[in-house]
Amino acid sequence: MSQFFQQLVNGLTLGSLYALIAVGYTVVYGIVQLINFAHGEVFMIGAFGALSVYLLFFDGQTGVWILPLMIIGAMLCSVGVAVLMERFAYRPLRNAPRLAPLITAIGVSVFLQEFVRLFYDKIPTFPSAKQNIPFPQIDVVTGKALEVGGVTIQRAAIFTVAALIVCAALLWYFVNRTKSGRAMLAVSQDPDTSRLMGINVDRIIVVAFVLGAVLAAVAGISQGLQNANIDFRMGFIAGLKAFTAAVLGGIGNIQGAVVGGLVLGIAESMAIQYIPGQFGGSSWKDVWAFVILILVLVFRPQGLLGARVVDRA
Amino acid sequence: MNATDLAKLRLPETTVEKYGRLGWPASLAGAVVVIAGALMSWSFNQQVLGNLSIYLNPGALQILTIVVALVAMVLLFSVRGPLARRLGPWLDTTRGLRTAGTALLLYMIIVLLAIGIDGNGLVNVDPGGWVSFLGALLLFAGSRLLPDRVGLQDMEQAKLPSWFEILVIAITMAAILFGAAYALGLEDAWSFVLFLLFAATIAAVALRLGVLSWFGHIATRNRKVLTLAAFLVAFLFPFTQNGSDANMSIATQVLIFAATAMSLNIVVGLAGLLDLGYIAFLGSGAYVSAMLSGSAFATIHWKPPFLVVVLIGATVAMTLGLIIGSPTLRVSGDYLAIVTLGFGEIFRLTMFNLDGINGPLLSNGPNGIPAIPDLKIGSFNFGDEHTLLGIPLGRFSNYYFLLLVLIAFVIVVFARLNNSRIGRGWVSVREDEKAAEAMGVNVFGLKLLAFAIGAFLAGLAGTIKAHQDVAVSPDQYIFLESAFLLAAIVLGGMGTIAGVLLGATILKLLPEKLRFFSEYRLLFFGLLLVVMMRFRPEGLVANRRRLLEFHEEDEELAVAVEQEHLTVEEAI
Repeated sequence: MSQFFQQLVNGLTLGSLYALIAVGYTVVYGIVQLINFAHGEVFMIGAFGALSVYLLFFDGQTGVWILPLMIIGAMLCSVGVAVLMERFAYRPLRNAPRLAPLITAIGVSVFLQEFVRLFYDKIPTFPSAKQNIPFPQIDVVTGKALEVGGVTIQRAAIFTVAALIVCAALLWYFVNRTKSGRAMLAVSQDPDTSRLMGINVDRIIVVAFVLGAVLAAVAGISQGLQNANIDFRMGFIAGLKAFTAAVLGGIGNIQGAVVGGLVLGIAESMAIQYIPGQFGGSSWKDVWAFVILILVLVFRPQGLLGARVVDRA
Repeated sequence: MNATDLAKLRLPETTVEKYGRLGWPASLAGAVVVIAGALMSWSFNQQVLGNLSIYLNPGALQILTIVVALVAMVLLFSVRGPLARRLGPWLDTTRGLRTAGTALLLYMIIVLLAIGIDGNGLVNVDPGGWVSFLGALLLFAGSRLLPDRVGLQDMEQAKLPSWFEILVIAITMAAILFGAAYALGLEDAWSFVLFLLFAATIAAVALRLGVLSWFGHIATRNRKVLTLAAFLVAFLFPFTQNGSDANMSIATQVLIFAATAMSLNIVVGLAGLLDLGYIAFLGSGAYVSAMLSGSAFATIHWKPPFLVVVLIGATVAMTLGLIIGSPTLRVSGDYLAIVTLGFGEIFRLTMFNLDGINGPLLSNGPNGIPAIPDLKIGSFNFGDEHTLLGIPLGRFSNYYFLLLVLIAFVIVVFARLNNSRIGRGWVSVREDEKAAEAMGVNVFGLKLLAFAIGAFLAGLAGTIKAHQDVAVSPDQYIFLESAFLLAAIVLGGMGTIAGVLLGATILKLLPEKLRFFSEYRLLFFGLLLVVMMRFRPEGLVANRRRLLEFHEEDEELAVAVEQEHLTVEEAI
């Protein structure tokens, strides 16, 4: 039984990470019907932003008070990149055929990965991003794991889940209680009418990108703390999984993204434990995640909680 | 001078009015000075850019400038002088000359840079280099002063004897053959860049003059001749290499890449389905071929004849395509992109894991299957060197010919499909799925067909690739390769044949020849995708219908496309 709980904990941790990233896909998709393929890279940039803040100002220290500053640094980097890419890559293609922004997104994704890989060490004293870079270990959130009834819980895992809870609460507040949030809902329901109602649609689209980037930045730090290292490729698989989570929950649906992320994370962990034989090990978990994606699309393309937009060919 | 003028390197109107009559003599003087400079020594250092240091015996790079300058002189004389009556009314000489001037100036700047960087400082630039540079500057400035041409006759209406048209096609093809052979033979990156710039200059000048669109028309009129000539040129290419396999190896890689890109073009270009895991189909063909190759590392000890392997490989790829396509093609196109991406990863991970420890032993995991023997069809062994007409042809030349057959097949399939009922169905699905469905087009069936055909052809290419590469391993089939294929299509022009072949050649050839560039190539490709989508989404070689899809507001273009269709229908 403790095996089960152990996998549940692992799954929740993994799922929280997916959920944090998946919100970014879903928010943007809900408003502009664009799969922002480069969102995984926004997540990666967040992790590198946090690391940069640490290396620039606090190198060698481990106090927990550094963490908020790292989070701010990560958010600044992620948001900056997300806003720039919206402005220069996606906005000019607002009315282009659907293939165009998708191809652009791939281009942005490859470009950002390579940019980090080639130029990160051009900043003095920074390590080369061509290999894995060790991520700083911070008091309280990393270190000795907790043992609860035979279940090992990493401190970084607690941080991740807590981050998701806080972010989800703030997100709920933002979307339902603030003017911008409600404008966002309106635009996702009907952009033309909301424009007539005096909503600045362009601004709301930027808000959606910013929102996604903020959560992705938090996810980037969580991933760094959990794995103790980061690399320029980390956004690719994570982004793909998070997209799967968004589809699983029903793309365009914010609660759906959170639920989808958690379900996907747990399903992946359980697959490692309970799929018998050689196909069960952790080397197959990515395969199972994509199989889930395909199965969802076959049997329930609108996702678990129902997508707002399903078939928009 | 406002911003757009600056961007187009244009002088303000008042200047043109005032000094306009100086334009022609200045340009002519510039062209003459460039030639004079090219006949002198450019570089004191004999090691740079080949030997450019001998007076009155121009080196290869100097001859290229002389050619451009001579073209400029011909254009100048068709404005005023002996050619004015014959050529004058047809060619947009002013724009052509401006392009030639800009390109020549750029060329000379690169030459000076190359001598300065590689030959220890600008001291090494001999007077000739500076003279040519000044000449280029003069041509550049003079051509800006020339008045814009108005009231030109449409080149389409030019009536020339058909033997002349065929001759033009033949000469162009021969020039491409020798150009390609020459460019591949260049060892030094600077020379290669300069040669590319020269080729681009000729193409750009032809475009500006309107010659290129005329060439397009004679090409459509003599389509069969053109196709035949193109294949003849491709067929003759190995004979220009004197048995050297170095360039043939690059050429075979270009062909494999082009054949795969061409097959993907059916899926993306014709049917408008974005497939981001396409490399997996190539990979499955390659893996099947490797497993059935009789290699000592193969896990299946059965070696059927190659034709059977080809069929099995292509069928396996097609089956995978159907499995992955049938659930996803029903939902929106965006899902397809991500699911195919996921599928590409599944393929790679599966091949990585099937090593006997994490899964059944099938693919040897990360090590892949090395030591794949060379192909043998009948008694013809592809690994041996053969001699034809006294010219030795190595291993890669053998594969080259086989791949040529493959790519011809893919092109024929593409062209036939494009002009068929199925092709028109794809266009309708691509442009408006709902409308197509309402008109009774079987949308799902057509999409699935495109997907299956694309996968089949990629599998086919894969079976040959395995033998040519000697080994298969999972890291050959990563996502970036799929992105790369897509980049070739986007760069060249979606849904076109010539464009995709051009795009594939550029993307595969440049990193091979420019080693210093290879570190940054992915960065550039990412940027390339973004920039192309922003400024020229229809690609380098655009098909008109495609152009219209990307520029919906362009009424003139819409009318032109409409008329084109009417004439085609009348012809049928």
